[in-house]
Amino acid sequence: MKKEDVLKTLHEISMDPFPYLESKREKGFKIIGSPLADVPSELIHAAGLMPVTILGTNRPIVKAGGHLPDNACSLSRSNLELVLNYQPRSFDGFVFPQVCDTTQHLSDIWKMTISSEFFASFLIPRQVDRPSARHWFYAETRRLKEQLEAYTGNPFGREALEESFSLYNEARRLLRKIYGIKRKNPAALSNRQLFDLIRAFCYMDPRDLIPMLETMTENLPKEKAEDENVRVVLSGIVVEPSQLLDILDELGVSIVGDDLTVGTRMIAYDVPEAEDPLEALTARHFDKSPFSPIRDVGTRLYDHLLGLFETTGADGIIFFHIKFCESQDYDLPDLKHIMRERRIPMIVLDTEYQSVTKAQTKTRLEAFIESLYGERENG
Amino acid sequence: MGETKQMTAKELSKRLTKTYYEGAKHAHEQGKFIAYTTAVSPAELFYAHDVIPIYPENHSVMMITHRMTAELSESIERKGYTSHLCAYARSDLGFRELHKSPIGGIPDPDFLLACNAQCFTLTKWFEVLSRRYDAPLFVFDTPQFIRDKKAREEIIKYVMEQIYEMIEALERLTGKKFDFDRLREVIEYSRQASILYKKYLDLASYKPSPISIFDALINMAITVYLRGTPDAVEFYRLLIDETMENKVKKGIGVIPNEKYRLYWENLPIWFKFRDHFNLLASYGAVILTSLYVHAWSYDFDPSDPVRTLAENYASVFSNVELEERAEMALDLFKRYSLNGNLMFLNRSCKAVSFAVHELRDIITKKTGVPALVFESDMGDPRFYSESQIRTRIEAYLETLDQLSYDRERGLRD
Ligand code: SF4
Ligand code: SF4
Repeated sequence: MKKEDVLKTLHEISMDPFPYLESKREKGFKIIGSPLADVPSELIHAAGLMPVTILGTNRPIVKAGGHLPDNACSLSRSNLELVLNYQPRSFDGFVFPQVCDTTQHLSDIWKMTISSEFFASFLIPRQVDRPSARHWFYAETRRLKEQLEAYTGNPFGREALEESFSLYNEARRLLRKIYGIKRKNPAALSNRQLFDLIRAFCYMDPRDLIPMLETMTENLPKEKAEDENVRVVLSGIVVEPSQLLDILDELGVSIVGDDLTVGTRMIAYDVPEAEDPLEALTARHFDKSPFSPIRDVGTRLYDHLLGLFETTGADGIIFFHIKFCESQDYDLPDLKHIMRERRIPMIVLDTEYQSVTKAQTKTRLEAFIESLYGERENG
Repeated sequence: MGETKQMTAKELSKRLTKTYYEGAKHAHEQGKFIAYTTAVSPAELFYAHDVIPIYPENHSVMMITHRMTAELSESIERKGYTSHLCAYARSDLGFRELHKSPIGGIPDPDFLLACNAQCFTLTKWFEVLSRRYDAPLFVFDTPQFIRDKKAREEIIKYVMEQIYEMIEALERLTGKKFDFDRLREVIEYSRQASILYKKYLDLASYKPSPISIFDALINMAITVYLRGTPDAVEFYRLLIDETMENKVKKGIGVIPNEKYRLYWENLPIWFKFRDHFNLLASYGAVILTSLYVHAWSYDFDPSDPVRTLAENYASVFSNVELEERAEMALDLFKRYSLNGNLMFLNRSCKAVSFAVHELRDIITKKTGVPALVFESDMGDPRFYSESQIRTRIEAYLETLDQLSYDRERGLRD
């Protein structure tokens, strides 16, 4: 495969993974979907199943509306719609994480409205700063492992786990490498292309993804290149619809870092080596950068973004707010205040899965980017 | 004691509330610590350690019933908060902007505890306060109490470990050793208050019912903030005696001609509940109960203090799976002979409202009682449409009338 073909294939999968997943199913894999939030894909993979992070749909909401309050977040609405309406037969089971009120109660609705062979709740600790959180994550991971084993009828051990760890670690390593290349040479691939790869990682078996990423890294320019673009850090949970990234490309913006859940947070943290594989998964979980719905230590949620802004030497921050995400709603006023105090340019975009091309969003982004260029000229 | 003997329950409640808030107001002057906590939380730990628990939610209810929420909310909407947040949180954050309150405010926190058995909103709301006052926030994390037996054992273990962590945090805060004997004593008071409180709620099973949900809501406050004290025990004893004496023994119902005994899903629309009571009464209907008021009917065992706190607080109705929550509601339908169901989809409270459509399906299927689902806000009149809600409630009661007419004539099962 050539680099261009890889990019095209991964772009297609990132937009619609279901033909690919169907082909996996034909090879005998059961497809296990999980809404976004820290479900350890490695564990599901080691059970011989095909883990998939469910990333919603941009198509119209038809059925989900009748099950949810009007102010349910756009992510949960589009996830439920995807599974209820557009892909009702594409999943064999679900591992459902709970991080906020929405995910906790959506889990109940999901169980009642969607039939599947397998359903497991994954009850993530919603705090990370005390020893109990670690003990709980470990216990919950062990419980998930047992449930997966009961489902497949095949107990699995250290060997299978370590193989999955190293496959996922390798895919993440390659993605980080590509991100690094783009940082040094923004023209090497577009913003959209970079995030297409990360989305593909959410959907694919690393065994299939790794050779493609290798082709990419071999064929991308390695040398540093001068960059005239303004440099931004992206913040939030997910950039949706992904056409927003095309707009950033059009406006001459280089992404130099992000704290997105479908972004760096997904690819930055490898499973370390450890005597006990479940301990290794636990250690990785607590390495991760902050995540809005989970109570972190002190003001780490903000400090992490400030640190990222400083170390990347960015010109500004673009924050993607998911419509009706209550968690972000509580974070934002203080975050805006902090940024204003430090004179760090930040724009907050209200995003919704179903509004693909909002002229207003584009205009606001344009104005923001222009102001960043302007500021650069004025030193 | 001699003096309180003459008091009515209402007077006692007033006095206890006044003393409690006065005590809180002067806590700092007396070298005492203030902890903010959530209505469902192991507050016994605070009472056992002489830390005064303050409930911003309760304070918010007062601001809501004094119809201050729209103004308070607007003050924080100008600061970037959205009007989609819980009206308790908005009222509270607004209070901190405008310093307006029907009781002259509540003191600032030294420590915050958010128990997410109730909701996740509280964690985020308390995070804002924790940054504002630079006070430590302890998230008391209670994973959904799913039915799986093994999972439950693990959850209890996790929650118990957090109680020990919380005790350590309290010791750090106050520099004082925690006293487990005192904890047992406090839990014993909580146990007694909870049993009496539940007994009071269960008076609604009499026909006609001597109390409506509005009585339950008014009298709930004491168990929310004073359980763990002998005062709460005394109050519920008096309240039950009084209701037995004045109503039950005389066969007097809370409304004349009681015909429809309704279940109410969710929190009340606080600023409207008198109007709702009157509207319903004119149709011979009265709301008797909800899972919400039962959230404080705990069942404590003081001999195993840490476990009993974990078990009670993890298993509150808002933290169990929907099927189990439906069973809890169905139990109330049965025990109180309920024959109507008003299901309020409260845009303020996703925690309790989120799966209301599925909950309605289960309850309707099992009881055959039709339900009315309607959307509004528990605290913000800007999201309350008087005419719409009135019309829908009236139409619903007419359906019930038609149904009972048909049933009396054998036209339906
Ligand atoms: S964290 Fe926000 S976006 Fe994610 S499910 Fe909860 S409300 Fe929705
Ligand atoms: S009303 Fe609901 S969202 Fe608001 S604090 Fe109470 S439980 Fe939480």
